[in-house]
Amino acid sequence: MFFLEFCHWLAKSHIGVIMRDSTWGFAIVEIGHLLALAIFGGAVLLVDLRFLGLGFRTQSKSQVARELLPLTVGGVILMFVSGFLLMANGPIRYYYNPAFRLKMCLFFLALCFHFILQTRVARQTLKGEDNSRWLKAGAIVSLVLWFSIGLAGRAIGYV
Amino acid sequence: MINVEISRSEMRIIQRHILLHLCQWVYGTHLSTAIRESVWVFPIIETIHVLGITVLVGTIAILDLRLLGMIMKREPVSGIARQVLPWTWTGFFIMFVTGLLLTIAEAETNYYNWAFRIKLILLILVGLNPLIFHLTIYRKVNTWDISNVTPLRARIAATCSLTLWAGIIIAGRMIAYLH
Repeated sequence: MFFLEFCHWLAKSHIGVIMRDSTWGFAIVEIGHLLALAIFGGAVLLVDLRFLGLGFRTQSKSQVARELLPLTVGGVILMFVSGFLLMANGPIRYYYNPAFRLKMCLFFLALCFHFILQTRVARQTLKGEDNSRWLKAGAIVSLVLWFSIGLAGRAIGYV
Repeated sequence: MINVEISRSEMRIIQRHILLHLCQWVYGTHLSTAIRESVWVFPIIETIHVLGITVLVGTIAILDLRLLGMIMKREPVSGIARQVLPWTWTGFFIMFVTGLLLTIAEAETNYYNWAFRIKLILLILVGLNPLIFHLTIYRKVNTWDISNVTPLRARIAATCSLTLWAGIIIAGRMIAYLH
């Protein structure tokens, strides 16, 4: 119920009113959401592909995880902020949208799962690097989760 | 025999008609109608096209950001280019096939859509960019491969690439808003 109250508050707030009433506000923020997706998605993809041994093999897993951390973290912040503004367009409508609910659950899962995985590998040294099957399984789970979030996100507009 | 003289402006009108007729013909084909009228096929292709952005533009952006000296500074540029390229081509293939199908489905409406026209022009420009880059400054990549700060022309190419791809994404999204 707390979330529904929050949605009511957001709908009446300044941001909510601007996002609902401006002609191009939604379109501009949505394009920003897509631009952030290109950077964020690309970085996540390359990190997970490296964990799977399918790319960037000239660098160690920990190096790739460490060096792409600014992109994945920065990207997810941009995605979240722009996504929040998009939601402000009609918070109560989104609250009752099943695809939106699914997306938020998956997003919370993926956020915890992926970043625990990436920061854990980023902290490893070259010698103590995790080469187990668990890391590969983790990378697959991360990819599947992010991909489902994309699907659910696109479905919001259709259900 | 009648001597028909066609002025340049008349020729242009005829050419425009040919393109429009081609779009109308594509619009009327079985494939175009099938994609357009199915409830799920169009959204599914569109979703793959949107998520494909990460594979194509995301991997290109990684190389561009390295050229600008923003990430992976210790890794040689050629190393990143080689590692990322197969995935960029995979992304290109996904985007080309799904993009072509979406274009076929809406050929006639796209003909009048100025966002679609701008996107096509930007796509041609973004194709020229790596062509110039690889034929010029990248040929001497061994002289600046490991440097933190890459040559100015490489940085200009990276900036052009990022700007053009951003423009393509913006124009692409605008197509649907202008429908």
